[in-house]
Amino acid sequence: MKSTLANMMLSLTALTALAGTALGVVNILTAEPIEKASKRARSEALEAVLPTFDNDIISAAVECADGSVVYPAKLGAQDVGAAVETFSDNGFSGRINVLVGFGADGVITGYRVLAHSETPGLGAKAADWFDVEPHDIKGRSDALAVRQDGGDVDAITGATITSRAFLEAVNKAGAEYSNYKNTKR
Amino acid sequence: MKGLGVIYDGLIKRNPTFVLILGMCPTLGTTSTAITGLSMGLATLLVLVCSNAAISMLKNFIPDKVRIPAFIVVIASFVTIVQMVMQAWFPSLYSALGIFIPLIVVNCILLGRAEAFASKNPVGLSVCDGIGIGLGFTCALTAIGIVRELLGTGAVFGCQLYSADFGALLFVLAPGAFIVLGLLLALFNRLIIKK
Repeated sequence: MKSTLANMMLSLTALTALAGTALGVVNILTAEPIEKASKRARSEALEAVLPTFDNDIISAAVECADGSVVYPAKLGAQDVGAAVETFSDNGFSGRINVLVGFGADGVITGYRVLAHSETPGLGAKAADWFDVEPHDIKGRSDALAVRQDGGDVDAITGATITSRAFLEAVNKAGAEYSNYKNTKR
Repeated sequence: MKGLGVIYDGLIKRNPTFVLILGMCPTLGTTSTAITGLSMGLATLLVLVCSNAAISMLKNFIPDKVRIPAFIVVIASFVTIVQMVMQAWFPSLYSALGIFIPLIVVNCILLGRAEAFASKNPVGLSVCDGIGIGLGFTCALTAIGIVRELLGTGAVFGCQLYSADFGALLFVLAPGAFIVLGLLLALFNRLIIKK
């Protein structure tokens, strides 16, 4: 079709208006499922890292000054611990977001790596490396460090930087949890 | 019947990955496992069929000088729709493919087919072209993904065939993607194209 200023303007305007409308409709249709999906992912992660709890943990969440979020878990009226969502910016490829669960006595009950951009096959192994023997960090309540830094946690083979960043985030989560416990008292 | 010929062309004779060598960024980036390669291929297939159909329908209303921006608007809209739908109903797939979904917009296969085929052919044939090229892309990505996953981690589609300890990490990383792509490309051209 031959181009004139008028038909170019008209066709592009009509096309973008059409596209905009279509996207608006799809956005409205998917907004609720997207919200639900992210909530479900969050509560699944919380259930995986924490001991049994029965409170509405997402609405009980408390945000800390540095952007970490503490999710206090309760069974009936009793505190059974909390999950802390925090991050480290020292990963091999930037930020690593983790969710760490703590029992009421402050020991780690589980963790989930929520988001990362580490190398597949190396740093990306953090998702389950620290969850299985002999690198298991569950049941620990002290500050953690990799062997290379004088600690006793085995770093992921070939991914010491990721392991360091991961443990930094876990330690930070521990600190936030004890902060939270102290301010509540 | 002409449609079947077009599909065959897209799948084999004009295979986007092994013959046209288009869309290398998602090819290298999303094939570290078979399942991500397959999903990326299917997402591209879906967008390609929709955009080819829409562009073929609109071809008589788009002035020549603004056809490229018009094609990009159409492609970007479909990609965004696929992205939102995936995020809503397939969140785990969405997080696995991550940045590569919005990047379908700049995949040159889509613009290439819009310009070379859909803007010159009727709707039915354009849809067939989308299916053929999309399937060709999906098969190529899945094949690369299977080889990389098998050599790198000893698994195919997540089923462990031998211990991951014997896997060569190289194949999971970017250099392995180039090596596998090169070898499969050579094999494909030797066995199927037979020049």
